[in-house]
Amino acid sequence: MAQALDAPGPVAVEHWQGEDVTLADVSTALARLRAETARDGRPPSLRTSVMTHIAWVPEPWHEKARTALAGMAERHPSRTILLFPDHDSGLDRIDAAVALESYAVPSVERTVCSEVVELRLHGLRAKAPASIVEPLLISDLPVFLRWRGEPPWGAQELDQLVGITDRLIVDSTEWDELPYPYRHLTELFPRAATSDIAWARTSRWRALLASLWPEIANTRTIRVRSTAAQAWLLVGWLRSRLGRDDIVLEHVDAERLEGIDLDGEPAPFPPGDPPLPSDVLSDELERFTSDPIYEAAVTAATE
Amino acid sequence: MALAEQPAAQENPLAEGLLLRRSPDPCTLVIFGASGDLAHKKLMPALYALALRRLLPPRFAIVGVARTEGDDDAYRADMRSAVQQHARDPFREDVWEELAASLHYVPTEFDNAGGEDRLHDLLGRLDEERGLGGNRVFYLAVPPPVFSTIVEALGKRRDGRGWTRLIVEKPFGHDLESARALTARLCEYFAEEEIFRIDHYLGKETVQNMLALRFSNGIFEPIWNRQFIDHVQITVAESIGIEGRAGYYENAGAIRDIFQNHLLQLLALTAMEPPIDFTPESVRNEKVKVLRALHTPSPRSVVRGQYGRGFVEGVEVSAYREEAHVAADSMTETYVAAKLYVDNWRWADTPFYVRMGKRLARRETTIAIQFKRAPHSPFEETAAEGLRPNVLLVHVQPDEGVSLAIGAKVPGQGMAIRTVHMDFLYGGAFRTSMPEAYERLVLDTMLGDSTLFTRGDEVEEQWLLVDAIVAAWQRDRPGFPNYAAGTWGPPSADDLMHRDGRSWRRH
Repeated sequence: MAQALDAPGPVAVEHWQGEDVTLADVSTALARLRAETARDGRPPSLRTSVMTHIAWVPEPWHEKARTALAGMAERHPSRTILLFPDHDSGLDRIDAAVALESYAVPSVERTVCSEVVELRLHGLRAKAPASIVEPLLISDLPVFLRWRGEPPWGAQELDQLVGITDRLIVDSTEWDELPYPYRHLTELFPRAATSDIAWARTSRWRALLASLWPEIANTRTIRVRSTAAQAWLLVGWLRSRLGRDDIVLEHVDAERLEGIDLDGEPAPFPPGDPPLPSDVLSDELERFTSDPIYEAAVTAATE
Repeated sequence: MALAEQPAAQENPLAEGLLLRRSPDPCTLVIFGASGDLAHKKLMPALYALALRRLLPPRFAIVGVARTEGDDDAYRADMRSAVQQHARDPFREDVWEELAASLHYVPTEFDNAGGEDRLHDLLGRLDEERGLGGNRVFYLAVPPPVFSTIVEALGKRRDGRGWTRLIVEKPFGHDLESARALTARLCEYFAEEEIFRIDHYLGKETVQNMLALRFSNGIFEPIWNRQFIDHVQITVAESIGIEGRAGYYENAGAIRDIFQNHLLQLLALTAMEPPIDFTPESVRNEKVKVLRALHTPSPRSVVRGQYGRGFVEGVEVSAYREEAHVAADSMTETYVAAKLYVDNWRWADTPFYVRMGKRLARRETTIAIQFKRAPHSPFEETAAEGLRPNVLLVHVQPDEGVSLAIGAKVPGQGMAIRTVHMDFLYGGAFRTSMPEAYERLVLDTMLGDSTLFTRGDEVEEQWLLVDAIVAAWQRDRPGFPNYAAGTWGPPSADDLMHRDGRSWRRH
């Protein structure tokens, strides 16, 4: 796991915002803000981006999305594009806020910048987001799409954005009526490598359960005190890995994964501390290929 | 960071796809010379960093052995202070307490049978109490004269339980003969696979990045040869003096202190052929081929120097001969520059210019790959005035990263071209704190991975070249001092380049 520097945050932030803007306005603002970092004879901020990070953030998730991003820009120098759809505003335009955050590079008198572009998509503009994002993607670098909340399965905006994405990151903890939405998720697997933060949060427990092999192969019932997503993913994982669809899940709702019983016997606690939310997202941003074990677990969870 | 697929994946279906960090076996790390500078400034801070990241084995013990009087409590207090002073991470009481609980101390002379007994008894007791399985890492952070005594004492008490690994600090001998004698002595009791000769340069991230740069990018390797590269410059410059180490330095000089090990290893990594994999033997086999192919064309191709008085960062500093415990007529070199050739298909006739020294203008370790000029310029001669050839510059320290110097048009009317740098700064792209070399190397030893350690035959090849250079030096007596502290070395080093129509990189 990449460990973040203990940095106090950006040393400088340059801002620009506008209403009813074009994408050219946004690109121009980005270039101008970056040039301004070089004022007074200083060298410009380095733009050593490693990806374009798109986040689709419906209204209920605005604050959580911004909180999760705090520290992310510092750890993964990138262009982050936050898309705030607002279908019902009665307007038909794009409002934009652009920030260039400069972070000090240790031992060097240079700064490295991360670009954060917030686009509020009013009315019909929220229906064709790929055409809005395309001009802002950084060439030749991977595109990660973080979809907050449950995606609108089959909707045009989801279909478009998945089409330009290398990796889709969801958190099925944010979804209702599990495990049914997983059926829709499986349909996206052929199109984009998928990460699920709920799955990542089970990794310590999966390692622990793996250490119980071969006795665990005969488990009939798994009782999981956790979020519904973690419970379904764990039972899906056991079913798919062990080739058994008869393993029964008993789920006790909890805000985090607190414990697992196998046929009534408590499994030992995994060593170490659970990772921080920003660490989990950060790790997912370092993966590039599809995860067949996860895909099989999701598929098995719905059977 | 060591990550590996679970080895038993085929048998255990649950293990498949789990990316588990390789964890070392339970073991005891025994540090000889545990009260010395290395233990204070590097080893204990490295162990603390590993403990903080939970990379040490869950069952683990550290035993410090040194001549200084003391007991476990005093040693723990001393090491606590060392960690607080030198660790790269903020001090955490809980992490330290856990580490300190595994820390023990045995005060003894290294040739004292009673001390050996106490150490042996303690190791046996720790094995039993903590389930360490007899696994041992012995770290010889002691001067070479006591290597032999310790190795014999350890070797005679080997009981075949668990695994044993021996970390040996440089210098690995004083010349080829003594290096061979040292290896022979070590091999009386330890197999070559059990000997980990540490060269901390190889633990640096940027040195390893040279391998990543060369062998994971399709664009570099096709031009990494005599067809496209004019020459290579390797600089290992220090602005500090000998820092009170006259006893060692008077015998070693720059050629044994830096050239024989760090510098030749950097050169080997720069010039080696692609290994078939990243296993210890594959990588070291390729490095040793380069070292075997190295030669310097003539005695005139090696320059030595010694610093006189001068200014470093605005402060007047003494000449080498004025340093404490240095002979007033010392002929020890504090600077070496050389032109070397690697006699193989890839590098024939491509010079590798290397220089290293104390009290130079600034601290800098770089590898500069200077490419040949464009074969034909369509622009007017004045347009590209001052345009320098492309240089790929690997910054090992400081400012870790890679720069590429390219020609770019100056904005405006007409056509003027100027050299600009494209910079990749490690800290800028990855934004993670860089592990210290000793963290990586100590952990690798516990894991049994010797890729980043120097093998016996590499050491011998390095000494072969050094012995040939030193032998030639016996025939003349240069006028020392021949460069002022705070400069880039003696004028004869510049002459070495100018004779070939080249110059050292500007700074």
